[in-house]
Amino acid sequence: MGFLELNHVSKGYGPPSNRYEVLKDVDLSIEENEFVAVIGFSGSGKSTLVSLLAGLEQPDAGEVRMKGNVVTDPGPDRGIMFQNYSLLPWLSVYQNIEIAVKQVFPEMGKAERKTYIQGYIDMVSLTNSEWKLPAELSGGMRQRLSLARTLSMKPEVLILDEPLSALDALTRAVLQDEIIRIWEEDKRTVVMITNDVDEAALMADRIVPLTPGPAATLERSFAVTLDRPRDRTTLNFNPDFKKLRNTVSTFMMDLNEEAKSLRVETTYRLPDLEPLDLTKVG
Amino acid sequence: MLQTLKTTLLKVIDLTALGFLEPYVRLAYGEEPTKQLRKIGQFTVVPVLVIIAGLLVWATMISPNVKTKSGELPSPTVVASAAGSLHQFAIREGNKEAAYVATGEEREAWLADVEAELESIGAEVESANATVVEARKAEAASKSERIAPLQAKVDALKTAMKEERAAKQAALKEQAASLPVGDNPQRAAYLGELAGLNAWLDEQKAEIDTIDDQIKLIRDEKDPAVLAALSQQTAVAEREQYLKKMAEQLGEDNRQARVATGQEKLDVAKTTFFNAEGAAAFNAAKKVISAEERLAKTEESSYAKPATLYYQIQRSILCVFAGFFLGSAIAIPIGVLCGLSTTFMGAMTPFIALFKPVSPIVWLPIALIVASALIPDPDKHWFTQWMWELPLIGQYKINPAFMASAVTVALCSLWATMVNTALGVASVDKDHLNVAKVLRLGFWSRLFKIVLPSSLPLVFAGLRISLGVGWMVLIAAELLSSSEGIGKFVWDQFNNGASDSFAKMMVVVFIVGAIGLLLDRIMVVFQRLVSFEGSIAAV
Repeated sequence: MGFLELNHVSKGYGPPSNRYEVLKDVDLSIEENEFVAVIGFSGSGKSTLVSLLAGLEQPDAGEVRMKGNVVTDPGPDRGIMFQNYSLLPWLSVYQNIEIAVKQVFPEMGKAERKTYIQGYIDMVSLTNSEWKLPAELSGGMRQRLSLARTLSMKPEVLILDEPLSALDALTRAVLQDEIIRIWEEDKRTVVMITNDVDEAALMADRIVPLTPGPAATLERSFAVTLDRPRDRTTLNFNPDFKKLRNTVSTFMMDLNEEAKSLRVETTYRLPDLEPLDLTKVG
Repeated sequence: MLQTLKTTLLKVIDLTALGFLEPYVRLAYGEEPTKQLRKIGQFTVVPVLVIIAGLLVWATMISPNVKTKSGELPSPTVVASAAGSLHQFAIREGNKEAAYVATGEEREAWLADVEAELESIGAEVESANATVVEARKAEAASKSERIAPLQAKVDALKTAMKEERAAKQAALKEQAASLPVGDNPQRAAYLGELAGLNAWLDEQKAEIDTIDDQIKLIRDEKDPAVLAALSQQTAVAEREQYLKKMAEQLGEDNRQARVATGQEKLDVAKTTFFNAEGAAAFNAAKKVISAEERLAKTEESSYAKPATLYYQIQRSILCVFAGFFLGSAIAIPIGVLCGLSTTFMGAMTPFIALFKPVSPIVWLPIALIVASALIPDPDKHWFTQWMWELPLIGQYKINPAFMASAVTVALCSLWATMVNTALGVASVDKDHLNVAKVLRLGFWSRLFKIVLPSSLPLVFAGLRISLGVGWMVLIAAELLSSSEGIGKFVWDQFNNGASDSFAKMMVVVFIVGAIGLLLDRIMVVFQRLVSFEGSIAAV
């Protein structure tokens, strides 16, 4: 039995007459301290999967289990890092972390809490920006703050919902390295949702592609056996990496084509008409 | 150091939305002078020019052409002088108040000054009176000079008309005698001639009336020289009256003087009592007691100062804030509940929809009846007595009329806050609520840490509208309830009908506008302080 499990999970939206099945019969088992990347096309139900894992939503069928217990509501043991940061804009960097720490560790003393929070601020290199508001931070800094807040709750599972997709390529690379560094320092279970095969191959232990919706599901998974620490500069020349990337990409492309072929194309037969040549009339 | 000052200044300017000041700061730091000068032109020079143009239009085109029973619409200069006289009144009343309680050497020195001034003012009064008489004479002379030719014309016209009428009538009578019976066409023509005579008469009369009207207009004209002399006379007379009153306040009517007199009387009463025998002792003792009581009252007494405009403005501001805070205290909790629960919102919607459009004119009498019923006699009721004893606000003598005005302000202004609060609470970002869920925040933590901070910008946008509405409502409410304040000032002036009442009402227009602007700016600052990036109501 896995640490975090999805058993035949289905989820759909809308009234029964016009139901849109987002996820259907999803099975996934994640081991403790495993780094799993769920990869999928946009609109394939990745964010729904995150909501289910976090407990923000309940599956229509099947169940989400963590350490054997059914997940019924969200909680700080599953730290979620939202796609659009979801920082509280009226609180400073420090206060954004403080609100989480105060709630999760109410017994912590004042001085202890201060050093604890400062530790996370330093960890994500936001030192000297403690009293800035999120509006005064760059996109990368906001994402780092979001990460620090999530980590400060000391979650057993870290759920990253497309954490880096809103960032430019350079910031993205820096943050990828940072997340891996933090993960390696302080191992824990990670589920990362992404749409980038390279990112998944660089960071994860296992890549799980989500088939395109509607009724998306997880078909098979690809283990990433590359040694850690992985160096992005040399990785591009690593034959295993290239092979993995090609396999996953091909698999995804095939899925996409399959989805396209599944789609019912309606063709309209047009009547065979020729315009009249008015110059010859009369 | 200078650089931080600049940043601070720019921040303050941004916070208070006084953007037109920004180019001055930047110019002072020598930043892109041409650009800053252009901005100064755009945001300072142009508005100032428009204001000047507006004043000119008012002075030259609007005010001379709006003629009413209460006189011409006051021109800017008249309004300015009315403002000056209101200010002077306040100063003089303040002096009288101070004079009443002045003591010792200060009082004597002051009294000497006032008496010296009083002596010198006699000549001024006489010369002002003489000027008025002369101006009147000159006016009468010039008017009769202008009227004389017109009157002569009228008289001539009248005589001519009478003569001609007599002649024509005689002719027609003659003609009537010779009318053949049965010749109807000829008789019809005769009727036409007679009607023609009447028409001619009407024409003549109309001509005479036109000239008469011209004469009347000339008679009614107000000569500027006379008006100036009259206002000069009034000013001097008022000053004289003021000085006389001051002399009294510093002299025999002064508190110290009255206390001394009272003391003397008490001493006399006491001596009488000590020497009295038999039944007379009882009456003498009574006199001692009443003299003691009177003395104690005199020692406590103060000048019965009439309400000055400044006092009324302060009381109005106090009243609008009382109503505003009362309204907000009702609106914010209900708004929060509406935003949190759609059921509650559904339950409240009929009330909100029904009461929101009710005019202050309807609320006020109801509020007044209720307030007067609760506090029938403010001089004896414990609540008003307690309010009057309070420091700072005690001097504003909060009474049922004040409370009714405040309640009316609250009832009319709370809707904007309520609706905005409900909207703000209902539209908290879903991501922020998810954060609360993941953190497992309890109801109160979620409310105070996520929901309220997130809806504050909208709440404050609502408060800003409420305060603006409240200020408008207040003036009407005070006018109706006779609660001492700006509204009552306007109403008093309207009923007073003095020569400068119209101008004083115009002064109030600007005062009300300026205070409204100030209140709005204060709310803008608060609104900006609670706003954050991406908040809906960021101004």
